[in-house]
Amino acid sequence: MNILELNDITKDYGSVKALKNVDMTLSNGEWLAIMGPSGSGKTTMMNIVGCMDKPTSGTVMLDGTNISEVSAKNLTNIRRDKIGLIFQQFHLIGYLTALENIMVAQYYHSMPDEGEALKALERVGLRERAKHLPSQLSGGEQQRVCIARALINYPMLILADEPTGNLDETNEQIVMDIFRQLHRDGSSIIVVTHDPEIAEEAERTVVLEHGKVTRNTKNAVAGSRGGDEKNV
Amino acid sequence: MKRQTMYMRMITGSLLRRRSRMFIALLAVAIGATILSGLVTVYYDIPRQMGQEFRSYGANLILVPSGEEGAFDAAAIEGAMRSVPADDIVGVAPYRYETGKINEQPFLLAGADLAEVRKTSPYWFVSGEWPDADGSALIGQEVADMIRLVPGDRFTLTGTDTAGENFSGDFTVSGVVQTGGDEEGFVFLSSADLDGLMGDGGRIDVVECSISASSDELTDIAARIGEDAPGVSPRLVKRVTESEGAVLTKLKALVWLVTAVVLLLTMITVATTMMAVVAERRREIGLRKALGASDRSIAREFLGEGALLGGCGGLLGSGLGFAFAQLVSMQVFGRPISFQPVLIPATMLASVAITAVACLLPVRSATTVDPAIVLRGE
Ligand SMILES: Nc1ncnc2c1ncn2[C@@H]1O[C@H](COP(=O)(O)OP(=O)(O)OP(=O)(O)O)[C@@H](O)[C@H]1O
Ligand SMILES: [Mg+2]
Repeated sequence: MNILELNDITKDYGSVKALKNVDMTLSNGEWLAIMGPSGSGKTTMMNIVGCMDKPTSGTVMLDGTNISEVSAKNLTNIRRDKIGLIFQQFHLIGYLTALENIMVAQYYHSMPDEGEALKALERVGLRERAKHLPSQLSGGEQQRVCIARALINYPMLILADEPTGNLDETNEQIVMDIFRQLHRDGSSIIVVTHDPEIAEEAERTVVLEHGKVTRNTKNAVAGSRGGDEKNV
Repeated sequence: MKRQTMYMRMITGSLLRRRSRMFIALLAVAIGATILSGLVTVYYDIPRQMGQEFRSYGANLILVPSGEEGAFDAAAIEGAMRSVPADDIVGVAPYRYETGKINEQPFLLAGADLAEVRKTSPYWFVSGEWPDADGSALIGQEVADMIRLVPGDRFTLTGTDTAGENFSGDFTVSGVVQTGGDEEGFVFLSSADLDGLMGDGGRIDVVECSISASSDELTDIAARIGEDAPGVSPRLVKRVTESEGAVLTKLKALVWLVTAVVLLLTMITVATTMMAVVAERRREIGLRKALGASDRSIAREFLGEGALLGGCGGLLGSGLGFAFAQLVSMQVFGRPISFQPVLIPATMLASVAITAVACLLPVRSATTVDPAIVLRGE
C-alpha cells in the first residue's frame, strides 16, 4: 500500500521551475533516498511532501488525503500528526534544554510528557544530556536530539533533508544506525542526501535533475540487508 | 505535565535564557513604567504639594470684625479658629493699624505677632532680620527710602494715643521688608509695643490666616466661621485660591500630555524591539510551525512573552517610579511624598496592557512566517 503518491507535480517560484511533472510513490515502511545536484528541487519536494508548501499543480496523496487541496490550517494539522522532520541544521530551540526541545513537539501535538521525552532521548543515547542546552551539545548530539524530537509523536512518515550533511564520519554512523533501527521497526523514511553511500542504504533511490525525476531504481542490496548492516 | 506548565517553561525560558535581547525590551518597558508611575504619583501629590506651596504665597482667609464695634479681641479669634482643623492652620496673624510720625513725617503703623506674620507671608523679602524682641521694628522699603534708615539704625516714633495724649518711643530697625505691595509703606511693630504706645488693652482690626485646604474646603471653613463665631466676618482671599486652581488644572493637563507621549514612545520602542525579536527568531517560529504550531499558538507564545516582559518591567518601573517621584518632589517642592501601594499592581497592569498592544504588530508578523524556511535553511 502506498502511503504517498505524487502525481504530475509542478512547483514554480515565479519563473523558476523547481519541480516539473514529478511522479513518485512511497509504500508503507519503505526507505527512500533522494539524490540530485544542488538546486535540482529536492528540498522543494520535501517541503511539499512535508505539508509545508503546496505544489503549483498536480496532486499529492498522503495517507489517502489529497494534501494539495486542503486548507492551510488542516495542512498544519496533517503535518503535526503524520510527519516527523529532521533537518541538516538541526533547528533546536536555543533557549530550551534537550528535553524541553522534544517536549515542544509533544506540546504542539497533544500533551507534554516528560517520561516519554526522556525515553526518546534514551533511544538516541542522550538521556544524560537531558538538561543541557543545544549550545552545550556537539553537532552529532544535536542531530540526535532533533531525531528524537521527530520521532516523539510516532509520525507515519519521517522526512530527513541531508541529516548527516553537517556531521563527521562517527556521528554520521551513529545517525545512520538510528535510521536503520527505525527502518527495522517499520518506519517509512525519505532521506535527501548528496552521499551515495548513504543513499545505498535505502531500498530505493530517486534522482532529481533540474526539477525532473531522472532515475527511480531499487538499490541492489536493499531489503536483504535489514539489520545486518552494522556488521558490514 | 500540563500544557500550561510547558507554556510557562517556554516563555520564561525565552526571557531568562535570552537575556541580552530581552533586556533592552525590559529596559524600555521599565523606563516607560517608571515615568508612568512617577508622574501619576506626582499627579496625585501635586494638589497636596501645590496647596502647601500656594499657602506660602500668603494668607488665604481674612477675618474682619462684623457689626458696630469695628474691632474684635483675641477671644473672638480663638473662637473662630475652632472651626478650622488644628492641623490645617499654618499661621494666624492679627493686625492692629494706627498712625504715627517719624521725624514729623506721618506713617502707618501695624502691630502684629510678627512670628505669625512670617508664616502667613513667607514671600516677604526681608533684608536684615525679622524682629525677635520688643523694641525692634520691621520697616517697609518705602519708609526706609523716605527717612533713610538701614537695619541697625534707631528711630523715634511719636503720635497720639487712645486717650489723646502724645506718645513717643524708641525703636531699632531690625530689617527692611520688600513685598511688592502696600506693606512697603508700613512700620511693623510687635503687638505688645504698639498696644503699649497706644496705652490701651489692645485691639485687633484684621486677622490674616493661612490655612492648608483646597478652595472648596476653604469655602466650607469660611461658612462655618460665619455661622459659629459672633462678631467675626470671614473673607476668602479670592485671587490666590483661584489662581491655585487654574495652575493646578494646567499642570495636570501637562502631566497627562507627558504621560501620553511617554507611553507612546514606550510602545514604539517595545514594538520595534519585538519586531527585531521576531525577525531574529524567524527560524524558530518556522520550526514551531513545522512541528505543528498553529498561528494561534505562535501568537499566544509571543503575547505571553510580551505580557511577562510587561509585568516584570512594570514591577521594576513602579519601584523606580516612586524614587523618581520622590526626587521630583524633593527638587521642586522640597518635601517627600507618600507611597501609594496600589500603584504597584496598577503600573504592572498598565505595562502588561501597553506591551500587549505593542506586540500586536510583531505577533502578526510572526504568524506569517512560512514553515518551509526551516528546510531551506535560511
Ligand atoms: N522560495 C523560493 N523562491 C524562489 N526560488 C526558489 C525558492 N526556493 C527554491 N527556489 C529555487 O528552486 C530550485 C530548487 O531549489 P531546492 O532548494 O529544492 O534545491 P535542492 O535540490 O534542495 O538544492 P540543495 O541540494 O542545494 O539543497 C532552485 O533553483 C532554487 O533557487
Ligand atoms: Mg536542499
